[in-house]
Amino acid sequence: MSDGSRGAEAGAKPLSAFTVELDVYSGPYEGLLALILRDELEIFEVPLAELVNLYRSSGGSDEGSPGALERDTDFVDSATSLVLLKGRSLVPAGSETGDEDGDEAIGPEELEARLVAYLKVRRAAEAIGERLARNAGYYPSGHAPPPKPGKLRIRPEKISAAARRTFSRTVEPETRHLGPITVTVGELVALLRRSLAGGEPVSFEALTREMDRLRSAVTFAAALSLASEGSIVLVQPEPFGPLTLRPVP
Amino acid sequence: MTGNARYEAPPEHLIEAVLLSSPSPIALPDLLSATGLAQGEALAALEHLRARFSPASSGIVLREVAGGYALATNPTCAAAVERFRAEARPAPLSGAAHEVLASVLYLGPMTRAAVSAARGVNSDAVVRNLLERNLLEERGRDEGLPGSPALLGVTDDFLAAAGARDPEDFPPLDALVDEAELARVRERISGARPDAAGEA
Repeated sequence: MSDGSRGAEAGAKPLSAFTVELDVYSGPYEGLLALILRDELEIFEVPLAELVNLYRSSGGSDEGSPGALERDTDFVDSATSLVLLKGRSLVPAGSETGDEDGDEAIGPEELEARLVAYLKVRRAAEAIGERLARNAGYYPSGHAPPPKPGKLRIRPEKISAAARRTFSRTVEPETRHLGPITVTVGELVALLRRSLAGGEPVSFEALTREMDRLRSAVTFAAALSLASEGSIVLVQPEPFGPLTLRPVP
Repeated sequence: MTGNARYEAPPEHLIEAVLLSSPSPIALPDLLSATGLAQGEALAALEHLRARFSPASSGIVLREVAGGYALATNPTCAAAVERFRAEARPAPLSGAAHEVLASVLYLGPMTRAAVSAARGVNSDAVVRNLLERNLLEERGRDEGLPGSPALLGVTDDFLAAAGARDPEDFPPLDALVDEAELARVRERISGARPDAAGEA
C-alpha cells in the first residue's frame, strides 16, 4: 500500500485517517491491515464487504476532492490484497495431495464439487433459519432457566470421562532405581572431616570411588555444605575436571 | 410399563399434568410409564389435548418435537411471557451458525475440522457458540483420526427450536437446491475455465 499522506497533501483525507468499526476490530484501517499481516487477526473474521461499505460511507469517498482518486486507489489496492488473502484461505485445509503451495490451482471439477456441496449447505442453512424463526416464541410449560451465556452445562457423564482421563495412568513410572535413603549429609560431613583431618587435599573421585551413586551425591552435598561454611575449599581447574577438597587451616 | 399403575384421573388429565410439569419434551414410552396408560389410551388422549390446545383456541399449545410431546406457550403470547419472565428472546443466530447447524444436521456427526471444510472457513468460534447454546453437542469421538477429535451432532434443544420431531423431519438436502441453480453454478465455473475462455 502506498503512502496515504499523498492524498492529504492534495487536500483529501488520507487513507490513514480511515477508521473502521467491525465486530472483530475497531480502530485505524492501517492497524487492521497490520494485525492481519502479523496473523494476529483471523482474515476469516473480517467481513470484507462491510469494510468496503464502511469506506464508501466514511466520507472518504468524496469523489470531487483533489487526491481522492489516489486515496481510493490505495484503498482498492489493499482491499484487493485482502480479498486475495481471504480467497486463498477459504480453500479448506487438508487436501488429499497434502500440497501446501497456495498457488496451486484447484481443478475445475473439484471446485464445482465444492461449490455444489456448499450451495446445498447454504440453502439448508436458509431453510433452517426460516424454520427457527417460524418456531420462535414457544416457551415450555415447566420453566427451566436458560443457562447464562458462556456458562458450561455440567453433564455427569462428561465429568466422569474427564476424571477417568485425568486420574488414569497408562504407564506406571519406573521406581526400581529409587532405593531407601540410608545415609545423611551429617554422616558424610563427618567422613569428610575425618578424611581431611591430616591437612592434606583429598581428591573427590578417590573419596567416592567405592561409593554408590546415592552416597556420591550426598558426599558432594556434604562437601558443598563444608565449603559454604568455610571449612574447606573446592578446587576444580576446569568444568567437569577433577575436584579436589582442600582443608582451610 | 402400561396398565399396572392405574390412577383415578382421566387419561387426558394425567397426560396434561405430566406434560405441564416437564420443561422438555417427553417421549411416548416415558408418558406411558408415568401415567400407567396403554398406548392406545395415551394416543387418544393426546389427540384430544391437541385439539384443546390448538394455537387458535388456547394460550398453550401441544407440540410434538424432539422425539416427544411438550406443552408450550402459544407464540402469539410470546411477548407477554417474555415480559413476565423479564427475559429477552435469545438473539437470532447468524447465517454462519445456520450453516454450521445445516452441515452437522445433514452431513454429521462430524468433527469441527469437517464443519470448517464443508463451509470453507474456520468455524470453531461458531461451533463454540452453538455448544454453549446447547444446539450442538459432542457425540463420541472419531477414533480413526489422529487425536480422536470429538464428533458433533444436533441436540434435542435444536430439534425443539426448529419444531422438528427428529432429524428426519427436515427435507432432504438435495431437494433444497433446484437443478437450474446447480446448472448456473456449473455454467459459471465452466465459463471461467481457461480452455472455455480460449474457445470464446
